[in-house]
Amino acid sequence: MSEVAVKNIDNACETAEEFTRVFYKQVDNSRHLTSKLYLDTGLLVWNGNGINGNDKIQKFLMDLPASNHMLKTLDAQPIAENLVSNKLTYLIQACGDVTYQTDDIKKPFQQTFLIVAVDGKWKIASDCFRLQVPYNS
Amino acid sequence: MPRRGGGGGRVRNWKGDNDHFEHDDRTSTNNTRRVRFKSGAFNKGKNVLRNWHDAKLLLDDDIDMSGSGAKPNNFKSFRGRGGGGRVNSPAPRMHGMPKKKFIAGMLPWYQIIIPYGAKHEKETLLRTLLSHLSPEIFIPHYYKINGNAVHFYVDDVKIAEKLFHADRKITMPDGFRLVVIVRNAVPNVVIDAEMKEKMKLTMAKRYNATTKALDLTKFHADPDLTDIFCALFRPVIMLAAIDIIAENIPDLEALNLNDNKLHGTEHLKILSTKLKNLKILYMGDNRIPFIGSLDPFKSLPLVELYLKGNPLVNRFNDHEIYVSDVRKKFPKLVRLDGVDLPPAIGFDVVEDVTLPPRLQSFLVDQAGQDLVREFLTQYYAIYDSESRQPLLEAYHEHATMSMAANYLTNDNRNAVSNRLNSYITNSRNILRITERESRRRYLRNGRLQVVSFLSDLPKTAHDLMGFAVDLLVFTPSMIVLTMNGVFKETNSSNNPTRSFHRTFVIVPNSGGGFCIINDMLYITNTTKEQEDKAFSAGATEPTPAPAPAPALAPAPAAVPAPAAAEETQKVLLNMLSAQTGMNEHWSINCLQETGWDLQRALFIFQQLQSENKIPPEAFIK
Repeated sequence: MSEVAVKNIDNACETAEEFTRVFYKQVDNSRHLTSKLYLDTGLLVWNGNGINGNDKIQKFLMDLPASNHMLKTLDAQPIAENLVSNKLTYLIQACGDVTYQTDDIKKPFQQTFLIVAVDGKWKIASDCFRLQVPYNS
Repeated sequence: MPRRGGGGGRVRNWKGDNDHFEHDDRTSTNNTRRVRFKSGAFNKGKNVLRNWHDAKLLLDDDIDMSGSGAKPNNFKSFRGRGGGGRVNSPAPRMHGMPKKKFIAGMLPWYQIIIPYGAKHEKETLLRTLLSHLSPEIFIPHYYKINGNAVHFYVDDVKIAEKLFHADRKITMPDGFRLVVIVRNAVPNVVIDAEMKEKMKLTMAKRYNATTKALDLTKFHADPDLTDIFCALFRPVIMLAAIDIIAENIPDLEALNLNDNKLHGTEHLKILSTKLKNLKILYMGDNRIPFIGSLDPFKSLPLVELYLKGNPLVNRFNDHEIYVSDVRKKFPKLVRLDGVDLPPAIGFDVVEDVTLPPRLQSFLVDQAGQDLVREFLTQYYAIYDSESRQPLLEAYHEHATMSMAANYLTNDNRNAVSNRLNSYITNSRNILRITERESRRRYLRNGRLQVVSFLSDLPKTAHDLMGFAVDLLVFTPSMIVLTMNGVFKETNSSNNPTRSFHRTFVIVPNSGGGFCIINDMLYITNTTKEQEDKAFSAGATEPTPAPAPAPALAPAPAAVPAPAAAEETQKVLLNMLSAQTGMNEHWSINCLQETGWDLQRALFIFQQLQSENKIPPEAFIK
């Protein structure tokens, strides 16, 4: 692997650490500002509910009960730049427990982000959140 | 110190030296010994203490204090205290004579042991004890004959103390004084199917279907449960009881747990998930110590609560503060300890914020549905087969793959089937793997490394019907999809189920098919809920893989073999149609012109469409 590719792996991991720190802090403590982390055209898929665009994401997030996320597992990979208009893009997988104020019970969750560097800022292109529950219909 | 099993020392002695005890019980032989003992080493405390551990000496000397489980460092506390131990002794008491003292234990249960009690009829024995204790009455729980001794339990500290002081006070018709040993001990119990059935029947009897109310007041004393120790203050039993309730009356609205010696409450948190409709809770006359002990009940929608007779209530000097503190925890409460509460003045805030309902799938583009379904079916058919080698076709030459694994927070890691060793050793959890070098190493690069890594993971069977699939990106050049689901390990003992979350980044390959360029996998144990529902919907086994899998295999170049070609062309056709939205006729045309090369077909489609050269009828299906 080229030196650049190796550096990109290191950077993906370090960015993932920093990103999740910021993201969960926002969601848990300053939810009203969270949508700033998404692209204007960002996509949030929350337990199968798709929400398109920054504004709608903000509204959706505000309607969720207060939360507390505890991260336990984190992984990250770079995405080949030729696939994403040569923009630096990382795939991040974050897993842990989330507690909602409604019932105060720890629930395991898994969340995958695609984040992209735009004008010197990391933005979420897509965010897929799933609680670990049975999904058999 | 009230050691658990206060009388332990004596019981042990008694078991070891039966003969001495029998001898010892004779009233006629007591005096001389006592005198010898008292005039002996007693004031030189230390000597006595050394003897303390000598069972033989203890017995010869008829020391009752050992029944309190005295430890050497507690010795002083026994001096000069009044006690009822030796009223019958004709010898004058010496100053500093230790008296037998009853010390209440931590648990509200006491085992009563009557050595040689079996010599007497149960009736006679109990009547004698009852008349000695009169006017107090007690219920002997779990009366049992053990060799020559009689064992039973009482659940009242007052009775236990009285029985403790009845030691050697009662002369039985045969001239022996009745030895009564009292230990602070809880009857042992194993919860098995038979016990659960008994509990269930007893509960059914105590259930009122019209009011949806279950009365478990003093449950252990239920006449139908006299032969088992069914005390709800023990978490295992309480949890078993909650399970039974949740299974049979999940919509229970009122529960009475009065007088069950409840102490700890942490495990009762589960009530709010198991009995979501519980509005009325009685927990009077228990031993709930603090107002904070009510926190586990906070998420119950309680409108009525009864707490009288618990230590927590007495901690408040001011009753109004008590009421207000309880109401803070249960804002919907309208009745506390049998008294209606004045209506509270609340705030106009949105209540009952609930989570949005969950959906099984999200598709950013409906057109991707068939492609995704087909791709996953084929992928997992190979993944779940004997050999994962054919997956080489499914990965891009420069694919990267990583797997992270972790336990659930509440996993019992001692259970063999919960162990995730085969995953954890290769887990790329970068919260733990902090060295750059290791982070690089745990990321598999290139299809050979990826497939060889996947081949070493345990063999599996995935519950495809239970997959939650989210299609996040669907463009001609890139597809991103995320799956959540469960699988079974097919070669491990007991076939444990695991839960996984996985993301594929998929790109068209040079042969007209598709391949994975990023694969990120997370594995953990299943929750109880997941395990119960796993493989419950429809077909359990995925359909066998057509070999080679068309969507994954490179499309045949020029003149494919007729049979296989037809199949492959059909798949290519579906894929093109799905991605472009063109109807079958136009899709065929497009593919034929490009020699059935999907990627070229897609390229030409995009080009033509950007030039607006595709007529609208091409999209009419």
